[in-house]
Amino acid sequence: MEAAVNAAKGQVRSDDRTRLAPASPFQFTGKAGEYFKIWIVNILLTILTLGIYSAWAKVRRKRYFYGNTLLQESAFEYLAEPMQILKGRLIAFAIFVVYLVVTSLVPPVAPVLGLAFMAVLPWLVVKAHAFNARYSAYRNIRFDFRANYGEAVGVYIGLALLAGITLGLAYPYYAYRRSRFVMAHSGYGITPFTFSAPAKAFYMIYLKAVLIAILGGVVVSVIVGMLQAGLAAGEPGKVPAYVMTLFPVFVIVVFLWVWVYIKTASANLVWSNTALERHRLRSTLKTSKMLWLYITNALAIALSLGLMIPWAQIRTTRYRLENMALLTAGDLDDFVASQREGVASAGEEIADFFDFDVGI
Amino acid sequence: MRALKATYYDGKTSKRQEVQIYFDNPRQLRVSGLAHELSFSLSEVRIAPRVGNTPRSIYLPGGAKCETTDNDAVDRILEHRRSGGWHAFVHKLESRLGYVLLALVITVASVWGFIQYGIPAIAKQVAYSLPPAVDTALGKGSLSALDQAFLSPSELSEQKQKELRAAFAAMTRDLADEHSFRLEFRKGGAVGANALALPSGIVVMTDELVALGKHRNELVAVLAHEIGHVTHRHALRRLLQDSATVLLIVAITGDAMSITSLSATVPTLLIETKYSRDFEREADRFALGYLKENNINPRHFADILSRLEQSRPGESDIPDFLSSHPATKERIKAFQSAS
Repeated sequence: MEAAVNAAKGQVRSDDRTRLAPASPFQFTGKAGEYFKIWIVNILLTILTLGIYSAWAKVRRKRYFYGNTLLQESAFEYLAEPMQILKGRLIAFAIFVVYLVVTSLVPPVAPVLGLAFMAVLPWLVVKAHAFNARYSAYRNIRFDFRANYGEAVGVYIGLALLAGITLGLAYPYYAYRRSRFVMAHSGYGITPFTFSAPAKAFYMIYLKAVLIAILGGVVVSVIVGMLQAGLAAGEPGKVPAYVMTLFPVFVIVVFLWVWVYIKTASANLVWSNTALERHRLRSTLKTSKMLWLYITNALAIALSLGLMIPWAQIRTTRYRLENMALLTAGDLDDFVASQREGVASAGEEIADFFDFDVGI
Repeated sequence: MRALKATYYDGKTSKRQEVQIYFDNPRQLRVSGLAHELSFSLSEVRIAPRVGNTPRSIYLPGGAKCETTDNDAVDRILEHRRSGGWHAFVHKLESRLGYVLLALVITVASVWGFIQYGIPAIAKQVAYSLPPAVDTALGKGSLSALDQAFLSPSELSEQKQKELRAAFAAMTRDLADEHSFRLEFRKGGAVGANALALPSGIVVMTDELVALGKHRNELVAVLAHEIGHVTHRHALRRLLQDSATVLLIVAITGDAMSITSLSATVPTLLIETKYSRDFEREADRFALGYLKENNINPRHFADILSRLEQSRPGESDIPDFLSSHPATKERIKAFQSAS
């Protein structure tokens, strides 16, 4: 291990001279047609087994996406076993059924259950990240995630409450601490990731988002106002109803734009400030392109009654990965594996089932 | 036999080493190209199942592995050993377009069939086996919630209320049904002319609907329809069916989206309105049966329905598949043809 660390240092020194580190882009080789077949067979077997196969389906889907993600010609690998996932899913399913029954028979209990879910959220976050990291590997070295529950409570409950109390003023700080929590506790083998984005940068993103929202609001009001004035001038008192229905459509477009901007800018910020030793990641997603992907995906999925879901997933993943690169300082040969430690899938599956956003 | 080109990772560091794998003995695997040649019995080696054309891992004892992109060669070796197992079967399914299309047809047909017949039949069985006390629990607080949100006290004359309550009591008296039926009057306001049945057996009728009725039997027909909802346990069945639908959609598409995503809600909404229309038809059939049994002309229901439709212009423009009620014309026709 010492030899490996020394070797790594040696490479760092030799690369310092060049300054500009060579970029190794991530490659995604998944194909929509090929994935469609895997997806439809997954659905078929899931139905025939009354949902039990869904655990195997998840493993095949994950293995397809991981296996088609290449960095310097080596593929990523998803290593979770379907049986582990099935156990987690059964627990999540049981909780969901209890929740459905209880909330429909005793509706006032719903907010209490909601609070209970909030309380276990930090635990879910830690477990879900640990599960995903430890069953993901690259070059036969597994990723890792280690964080203590106390810190998770501080971030996911303490700071979330602070963001609420300050009417959102502390929200960018909360987003910053969430990303830092996830990234700084992740590792590749025994090597930790480092996270260097400043909190200020998150504030800049949200400030810009607010400006986009205001600007969008003004533009929409002007357009609708002009339409109304123009039409009323021709025939006083008779503004067609469709002008008023246009208004919410414009508002939705502005909201979507703001939301996609925040997602995209945050992803770029977080990834581009994450490093593994001297190797830095770089993410160069564009808001306009992401917005285009989301809108066309939604249209294609709706018009094809869901059959275009595989196509949508493949093209979105391709765009995301092709705009991600590792700025390498030397080769990637000297990372050392960590002790193997299992983790149960329940946290990941519950978070997955209820769609808790445990991402960065 | 030719060598299989692969990359070797020892599992201790991330170092890549290009190697060749030989299967020159049917029970042996030889890894060549490292400092020392490695040799393993095939029974010690685990080969990952194939997924599409992703690189294939061959896990060696002691934590090392080889990764190869030559999936077909690995498959040939596995076939030779006859140990592909059901993973190989799944891959075969995935790689033949014919099977895939067959899978697609079976999938769509079985989902459709289950939604059309399976879920309603199961929900009916479950609902009928539960005591009416469940309905009472389900409807607890519904009326006060409605009062707070939409309805205001009735302005109907005592006389009229008494008359209709007597008719309602006569209708429910001989019913083999343990629900505690009760008729309530409210001013509809924004709700307009309407009648609704709460699961516990309370039927609410708005002043506006009473005013719309030109003949006493028209209101009796509406009450029969609402009693049909209660006695056929529609509220409980709706709850069961809608929950089952959500679970089904999530189980199928869970791979692709989560409960809260918009695309998953659209199909559930469409299915829920379909179930709602089926319940309306069943309540209509109950009303028709009641009217015939009591020698009341079914025309009366058709009359008040068409007046209701006229009182709410624009609603008939909603396409059938989006609406919670069947097209009024279709319902009117059913009663007219029975008269």
